[in-house]
Amino acid sequence: MSSCQTDRTVPPSCGRWATLRLGQIAFQRHFDRHGFRSTCACVCGRSDMAACGKGLDKFMFSLRLLRNLQLQNERFLSTSVCRLAVGGSSEQPPKFTPPSKPVIVDKTQTVASTRSHLSPEFIPPRQRTNPFKFYIERKDMIRRRKVLNIPEFYAGSILAVTMADPNASGKMNRFVGICIQRGGHGLGATFVLRNIIDNQGVEICYELYSPRIQQIEVLKLEKRLDDNLMYLRDALPEYCTVDPDMKPEPISPTGEVPVNKLKVRMRPKPWSKRWERPKFNIQGIRFDRSLTPEQMEHAQKWAQPWREYDMLKEYDTSKLEEQILSEVQREMSK
Amino acid sequence: SRSPSHLVGCIRTVKTTTWFDEHLTEDNQEYMRKTTAEEYRRQTAEKLNPLKDEPWQRHEWTEGSRRVGLVAVKLGMVPVWSKTGERHVVTMLQVQDCHVIKHLSKEEFDGHTAALVVGGKNVSPFNRSESQMEMFRNAGVPPKQKVTTFKVSDNALIKPGTPLYAAHYRPGQYVDVTAKSIGKGFQGVMKRWGFKGQPATHGQTKTHRRPGASGPGGDPAKVFKGKKMPGRMGNVYVTAHGLKIWRVNTKYNVLYVNGSIPGHKNCLLKVKRHTRASLCMHLFMFVCFPVRECASQ
Repeated sequence: MSSCQTDRTVPPSCGRWATLRLGQIAFQRHFDRHGFRSTCACVCGRSDMAACGKGLDKFMFSLRLLRNLQLQNERFLSTSVCRLAVGGSSEQPPKFTPPSKPVIVDKTQTVASTRSHLSPEFIPPRQRTNPFKFYIERKDMIRRRKVLNIPEFYAGSILAVTMADPNASGKMNRFVGICIQRGGHGLGATFVLRNIIDNQGVEICYELYSPRIQQIEVLKLEKRLDDNLMYLRDALPEYCTVDPDMKPEPISPTGEVPVNKLKVRMRPKPWSKRWERPKFNIQGIRFDRSLTPEQMEHAQKWAQPWREYDMLKEYDTSKLEEQILSEVQREMSK
Repeated sequence: SRSPSHLVGCIRTVKTTTWFDEHLTEDNQEYMRKTTAEEYRRQTAEKLNPLKDEPWQRHEWTEGSRRVGLVAVKLGMVPVWSKTGERHVVTMLQVQDCHVIKHLSKEEFDGHTAALVVGGKNVSPFNRSESQMEMFRNAGVPPKQKVTTFKVSDNALIKPGTPLYAAHYRPGQYVDVTAKSIGKGFQGVMKRWGFKGQPATHGQTKTHRRPGASGPGGDPAKVFKGKKMPGRMGNVYVTAHGLKIWRVNTKYNVLYVNGSIPGHKNCLLKVKRHTRASLCMHLFMFVCFPVRECASQ
C-alpha cells in the first residue's frame, strides 16, 4: 500500500467515491463500473513522514477492513458483469478497456489559478508613455512568469523566497518574512519582506522579475486592513516575527482572500513616521493604546478633505485591468 | 476618467493660423486623410521591393570607414539583468519608419566627407512647407518628423529611399545618442550651473540663491563673456556618448541602450556609432540588414 507518496488522484470516469479520513491522512477509493479498483495515494499536503507514521497502524487496520469489503463487492460486481455478458448471448469475452490515465494534478499551479487575479505591477501608471512600451514589458514579464511561478500575494501575506547567492553556502539563501510593501511597475516591481531574527529586524527588498530568485512560496495568504504595512517597524516585535521553518498553510483556490482585521499595538512614540496623520490613512493600528484623543484630534489638522472630490486625481483602471487580465491569461495559457 | 492613451504624444506643434482642412468639407477632409495614409503605405512597400528599387552597390568595409546612423523614438526605461545576475537600467529606443532621404556628395556637403540625410517617424504632409515636401517627394518617402545628416565614408553610401531598421546595430556595440534635452524654462543660477548659493540662516538678508560675485574687480573692470548667469535651460541638443547596446528586438525594431538618455519620452533621437577605438566592435559590412531580408520579414 502506498502511503505519503506523490499526490496522484484518479478522477472517476463514472463510479462512486468513498472517502475516509484518519486524522491528517485522507484517501479515496474508487469503484469503476467494470470492477477495476484503483487505490489512490493518500493526500497529505506537504506534511512530513512522521505525521504519516502516527496514523499508519490505524491506516493498516482500516485498510484490511476495506479490502475485505472490497473483495466482497468485487466478487459481487464481477459475477454480475459475467452474468450480463453471458446474458448477451455472444461468446466473445468482455471487451478489455484499459483503466483511465492518471491525471497528475500539480497542486502548486492550480491552487491559485481559479481565482482570476491580476498582479498590481501589470497595471501601467498614468503617464505620457506610449502604451506600446508597456506591451513589450508585459511580454517580458509573461516570459519570466512562464519559467518561475510567481504566486498571488498581498501585503500582509507570509512568503518564503529562495535566491541564488554566490557567497552563500549551497549557493542559495532562503528568507521568510511578512510582506509589508509591494511597489514598482512593470519589470522593476519589488516587494519588501520583514522578519525579526535574533532580536534584529531584517527587511529585504526583492525584485519580482530578477533572475536570481529561484522560488517564491506563499506560506500564508491573507490581506490586512492596509496596503502598506511600513508601520510594523514601529510596532511591537511580536507582530513581525515569523518562524523561518513555518509550514505552508493550505490556500483555498476559490473564494475571497481572508482579511486579517488585526489592530497592531505600537511601541512608545517617537515613531519613524507620524502614522496617526490622515494622509497615511492607516486602519490597522490601535491608536487608543498609544495616543490620547487630543493627539488624535490634533493629527486631524493635516486632513485634506477636498482630495476625495478632486477629479484630476481620479485614475479609473477597471477597463484597462480587464483588458490586461484577458491578455495575460491568454498568453500564460499558451 | 480614464487616462487618455490615444492622446499620448499629442502636443500642438503646428502654430499656423489656418489648418489645411479649414476650408474643406467634411467628406473632403476624410478623403485627404485616407489617401495620404494609403500613399504612405504604398511608398513604404515600394521601397521594400528590391526589383522595383535597385539598391546601390555594397562595398567592402575598411578600417576607418563610417556607417549611417538611425533616427529613433525614446520609449522609456526598464531594468535588464545580465547572465551573472547584475542589474542594469536601459532605455528602450524604437526605430519607427526610418528612411534614407538624400545623398549629399563631398562637394555639396563640406568638401571632405559625403553625407546622408536620414529621417525618422512619419507625419502628416499638410503642415510641411513646399521645400521640405519636395525633398521627400524626390526620395519617394512619406514626410518625416526629424531629419538629420550623418557624415559617411564613400564606401558606405546607401540609396535614398532605403528603410533602416534596428538590426543595423548588434548587442555589444557602443553608440552615441543625441537628443534635445527637456526644456526647463528660465532657471536660476543654482539649478542651471550648480552654484552653491548662500546659507539659509545666520543673518542672510534676501540672499539665498543668488550668484554672488560676478568677476575679479577693478583690473579687468568688466564681466567676462560667457559668465554663468541665470537664463533659459534645456531644450538644447545634448549627446550621451559610449552607451552599450544590451539587446535588439528585431520584430518590433527596439534597441535597449544602457543608462539614461537626454530628452522626454516619445522624443526623436539621433543614434550614431561610437568612434572611440577601445569601445569599437567593428561590423564587417555596412547595411547589415539588406533590403531583400526586409521584404521577407
